[in-house]
Amino acid sequence: MNGLETRGKTRIVLWALLAAALILYGFPFVYLLLTSFKPPLEAISVPPTVLPTQWTLENYVSALSREGVPAALVNSVITAIISTALSLMLAVPAAYAITRFRTPSGRVFIVAALVTRMVPTIAVGVPLVEIMRNLGLTDTSFGLAIAHTTISLPLSIWLMASFFEAVPDELDEAAKVDGCSRLQALWRVVIPVVTGGVAVTAIFAFLASWNEFLFALLLTSIRAQTTPIVIANFQSQFGLDWGGMTALAAVYSIPVILLTLLLQRHIVAGLTLGAVKG
Amino acid sequence: MASITQQSPLGAVEKTAPAGPARPAEGPPAAPGRGRGRNRTRRHLSDKGFALALMAPAGLFLAAFVLWPLIRFIADSFYEISPIAGGPRTFVGFANYATAFASEAFQNASVRTVVYTLIVVTLEFTLGLAVALLFTALGRRSSVFRTIFMYPLMIAPIVAGLLWRFLLIDNFGIVNELLYRWGILSSPDQIHWLSDPDIALFSVALPDVWLTTSFITLVLFAGLQNIPGDVIEAARIDGASYPRLLFSVIIPLLRPVIAVALIVRGIDAARAFDIILIQTDGGPQGSTTTLSLLIYRTMTRFGEPGLASAMGTVYLIAMLAVAITAIALIWRPGSQAR
Repeated sequence: MNGLETRGKTRIVLWALLAAALILYGFPFVYLLLTSFKPPLEAISVPPTVLPTQWTLENYVSALSREGVPAALVNSVITAIISTALSLMLAVPAAYAITRFRTPSGRVFIVAALVTRMVPTIAVGVPLVEIMRNLGLTDTSFGLAIAHTTISLPLSIWLMASFFEAVPDELDEAAKVDGCSRLQALWRVVIPVVTGGVAVTAIFAFLASWNEFLFALLLTSIRAQTTPIVIANFQSQFGLDWGGMTALAAVYSIPVILLTLLLQRHIVAGLTLGAVKG
Repeated sequence: MASITQQSPLGAVEKTAPAGPARPAEGPPAAPGRGRGRNRTRRHLSDKGFALALMAPAGLFLAAFVLWPLIRFIADSFYEISPIAGGPRTFVGFANYATAFASEAFQNASVRTVVYTLIVVTLEFTLGLAVALLFTALGRRSSVFRTIFMYPLMIAPIVAGLLWRFLLIDNFGIVNELLYRWGILSSPDQIHWLSDPDIALFSVALPDVWLTTSFITLVLFAGLQNIPGDVIEAARIDGASYPRLLFSVIIPLLRPVIAVALIVRGIDAARAFDIILIQTDGGPQGSTTTLSLLIYRTMTRFGEPGLASAMGTVYLIAMLAVAITAIALIWRPGSQAR
């Protein structure tokens, strides 16, 4: 607290401002939820209603029983889990090496990871189509997870590097004095200290895969299709089913929103770490 | 620089010779620890080698699945390629680049990408800073609201795009309906958010702003907490008004944080694809066709992979150039690290 807080009457005005901002900010998703409980025809009525005149689960039942929807939800979970695991397995050792052994190659590596973030997805995605075909991974969750890892890996390396940075070198030294090898020092002593950081990194890697669209569009067709593609196909394939779309979007978004609320402290740490610590 | 400490009684420690200043006192000879035999083979790795071994898997992965595709993408830009898989390829030098630069579609899409990015970044920065200041002014009690404010960050861009298309859609969009009910609009179809080519580029930016303003808020809020209290105090004693305090003290102090937030968001906005695709598919009349959409269409619908690759390569080089210049100019890492 540094004297930027306000006291007295202006606080009331500020709270009112904040309330207004939150209502505006919250409205889109609240409206999505409300629409998902309307009868399908009311969802597209002219003029639109704010509250459902009749609450019903019809949209949820129809959306979730659509062909391909349950499979897509399962695919999304599988792809995100594989991609998260892959991302952590590759990022944790790399980030540790970058922060502990400040070699020139480490510096090159962290810059390369930053540059990867600036590459337009399509420039990697299009050639990946053929590469995956050659590897026999077209339309598989594993192939898509690899593609998603190209997005989450640079971010994971940055995040993990910041977390390792916060662990004093003396800890590794002590572990080695006690007879651990370098690898054991990492695995048995340092990683247990940064489990919080690993969890944050895992959440971001998971979300990157969960919400990704373009790679999924290019690399999957039937078997490995993830939910974002199915959500996007809702109108073209089934006419103007806005009700069903809102229901599926709610099903897809609510678990991650709840996750955010539960783990918000860690997530804030992850989001601001790289930026604020410079 | 850590050197190997689990030396054998015969003292193989000299072998490791760290590059940095030698560390004194490696401690007593290792206790008869576990896994001795296993470690003996690894002991020959220098620290540098060990570091390389740890980085190698990630490095190889990025080389195979980012660098290699990119090289192929750039190589494709010098060929005329038949869209049929396995079709003929003819080397055409820079012809695709000449076509790209001469094409009006490419020029317009480039301008739209810049405008879109500026709209997103400007709105997000203004709103994000305002809310961050609001949270700071309200202090600790605002923490619950900070959490609520974060929720759109987790929503898929495709969902956000569809949701906003639904909110802004002609005929039954709720935004126009509410504006009409409150007397701001004289008719619910007065504004054609997504079907009027003059404003569509602005409208498609709204979900992006909604989705990620919280990121800017969080980053700036964290930065605001780090401003030393005595600096604010001193400015207050000098009689600085709040706007003065904001523009001559707070914003300059936040500069590195602001730079990172804007660069990260700018890069993402310039790459935006699905959020625009799902709202307008580049329309109406191409008014929301940004570079990523144009490249995608040139590749898939117009069947010209070579031309699309040339456009993509220009786009990639421009992104890198702008981002690196921005980092060098505003971030100035090291000068004020925190």
